[in-house]
Amino acid sequence: MAEAIQKKLQSELEKYQQLQKDVSKSMSARQKLEAQLTENNIVKEELALLDIQNTVYKLIGPVLVKQDLDEAKATVSKRLEYINGEIQRYETLLKEMERKSEQHREVLSSLQHVNIFCFEMPQAADM
Amino acid sequence: MASVHDQMAAAGKVKRSKDLPQGVERLKEEHRKVVKDCRSQIEHWKKVENDYESLQERLRTLPDKLSYDIMVPFGPLAFMPGKLVHTNELTVLLGDNWFAKCSAKQADALVEHRKKHVKNTLDDLQKVMKNFQNRADFTDDLEKLTGDTGDFVDIREEVINEEEVTKGKHRLAHKANSKPKQVYLLELEEDKEKKEGDDERTTGVLSEEELWARLDELERQEELQDERYRYTRLDSTDTNGEDTTSSSEEEKEADGGSDVQVNGHQKENGWLPTSITSQMNGTNGSHPEDEEEEDCDEEAGNGLPTIYFSHTAEFKKVRINTGKNTTLKFSERNEQKAQAKRKKKSGKSNGHSPHESYKITSPADIYRVFVDLVNGEPIPRKSILKSRSRENSMCSDTSESSTADFEERRAAFGRSWSHDDATHSDTSDGITEEESPTGTSPRTNGRFEAFTGTVIEKDPLPCSIPHLTIAPPALPTIPERKLEEVGPEAPQEPPKRMSKFKATQLHQK
Repeated sequence: MAEAIQKKLQSELEKYQQLQKDVSKSMSARQKLEAQLTENNIVKEELALLDIQNTVYKLIGPVLVKQDLDEAKATVSKRLEYINGEIQRYETLLKEMERKSEQHREVLSSLQHVNIFCFEMPQAADM
Repeated sequence: MASVHDQMAAAGKVKRSKDLPQGVERLKEEHRKVVKDCRSQIEHWKKVENDYESLQERLRTLPDKLSYDIMVPFGPLAFMPGKLVHTNELTVLLGDNWFAKCSAKQADALVEHRKKHVKNTLDDLQKVMKNFQNRADFTDDLEKLTGDTGDFVDIREEVINEEEVTKGKHRLAHKANSKPKQVYLLELEEDKEKKEGDDERTTGVLSEEELWARLDELERQEELQDERYRYTRLDSTDTNGEDTTSSSEEEKEADGGSDVQVNGHQKENGWLPTSITSQMNGTNGSHPEDEEEEDCDEEAGNGLPTIYFSHTAEFKKVRINTGKNTTLKFSERNEQKAQAKRKKKSGKSNGHSPHESYKITSPADIYRVFVDLVNGEPIPRKSILKSRSRENSMCSDTSESSTADFEERRAAFGRSWSHDDATHSDTSDGITEEESPTGTSPRTNGRFEAFTGTVIEKDPLPCSIPHLTIAPPALPTIPERKLEEVGPEAPQEPPKRMSKFKATQLHQK
C-alpha cells in the first residue's frame, strides 16, 4: 500500500515537473516575443523619421536587399501584429498550464499526506 | 541576526514566532537582490547612453572632411591603411535586420530618438530601485522596532470597562510614533485570505495614490473593527479578546492572528488587517498576552517599550452644544438618563436624587438653576415631576428649563448624537432600543411634559431613529433642531398633545 502510494507520488511529481518545464519554456518564448515587440516598435518609429530619399535595406542572410520605404513600413506593421497575436496565444497557453500545474500541486500534496500516514504507521509499528 | 536573537531571548515572556528573524532576513535578502539587479541594469543602460553620446559626437564631426586616412581593420588580427570616404553617407541599422541609408544628420536624429528610449528605461529602473530600497529600509526599521533597539514607544490603553457606553465602537489608542508604514507588516497571517497588495505595497515611502489607497484601507479597517466590536459587544459576556463568535471571517482571522504577536513578521506582506489586528491584539486580542503584559511595563508583547495609559474613571466627557450654547457632559447625560428612568419607573415626585439639580458641573446646570430662579419656582424638578405624573401636561416653565429637561430625556435615549467623534453608537443604540419598548410610555409622557419649545418624536420606537439621524452633524444644537422638528411632527401627535403643543408654541411666539 505504501509503495503503491509512493509510486503514485513519483509519477505525479514527474508530471508536475514536466509541466513546470513547459511553463518556463513558454515564459521564455514570451519574453523573447516581448523583446521583439519593443524592437519592432522602435523600427517603426525610426522608419517614420526617414523620408523617401533614404534607401531602406533588409538583411536576408548575407544579403542586403533593397526595399521600398512604404513597403518596409507595411512589413514592419504586419510583423508587429503577428508578434502581438503570438503573445496573446502564449498568454492563454501559460494560463492553462498554470491551472494544470495548480491541480497537480493539489494532487501532490494530498498524496504526500497519505504517504506520510502510510509510512509513519508502519514505521511506528516497527519501532 | 544574532542581535535579534538576543533581543528575543531578552524579551522573555514574549511569544514571538521563530520565523520572525528568518523572515526578516529572507525579506531583506530579496530586497537586496532586487536592488542589486536594478543597479547592474542601470549601469548597463548608462553605458549604452554614453556610447550613444560619443556616437553623436562622431556623427557631428564626420562630415567635416571629405575623406579620412584611417587604419582599416583587416581580418581579426591586422590593420591596413585606408581612406574613409563618402563621409556623409551612413547605413544605419534600424533593428530587426532593417537598414537605412541616411545622412549624418538624419542618423543623428535617429540616435536622439533611441536615446529617448534608453532614458525611459533608465528612469523606470531608478524608480524600481528606489522603491525596493525603501522597502529594505522599512524592514530595517521594523526590525529595530521589534527588537527594542529603536526609539519607538508603544502606548497602550487598557480598556477595562466593557459596559461603558461606547456605542459599539472602540477607540483604540494609537501607538505613539507609529507611522502608517510600520503597520503594514504586522499581523500578516490574517492577510492570507484578504491579500490585497503584494510586496509592492509595503514601501515605507508612499506615493500620493498609495497614501489615498492607504487611507481608504484604514477606513475600511475601521469599519471592520466596528463590526467586530459590535459583535463582541452583543455577545458581551465574553470579554476575552479571542472572539469565540465566528460571526465574521475577520474574527476568525483575529483568532488566528492573536496567536501571532503583533509584530509577527511574515513573508507575505499584505496590507489589510494589519492595523486592525495589531490594534485588536493590543486591546481585545490575546488576553493571556495582556495579562502578561500588564506585569511588565517596559517589555510589551510587541517587544516595544510600552506605556500603559488609562483613562480616568469618569465617563468620557464630550462637549455638546445644546441649545443656547450650553454644554453637557456625557457623563451627566448618563446620570440624567439613569435618573430619568428611575423616575419613570418609580413615578415618585421625589425620586430624583438631589444632586442632579444642584450639582453644577457644567454650564447647563447653572442654566437650569438660573432658570429656576427666574421662574420663581424653587425646584424645577418638582414641576417636571408633577408634569410627569399628569399625562400630557405641559410644563409651564419657560422653554429653557423644559429644554434642559428635555435634553436630559434625550440623553436617556439619544446618546448617539452626543458623540461626534465617538463611534460607539451601535451598541449603545442597541441597548437603548432594547430598553425602549419598556420605557416607551413613560418616556412619551416625560417627553411631552418636558417640552415647551422642543420636539418630541412622534412614536417612542422611532424616536431612536431621529436621534441617530440627528447625531451625525457635529455638535447639534438640540433644542433648535427640535424646534425644526416640531412642525412636521406636531400634526402626527394625538390631538390632545397637539393642542398643548400648539398652545405652547403660540405662547412662545
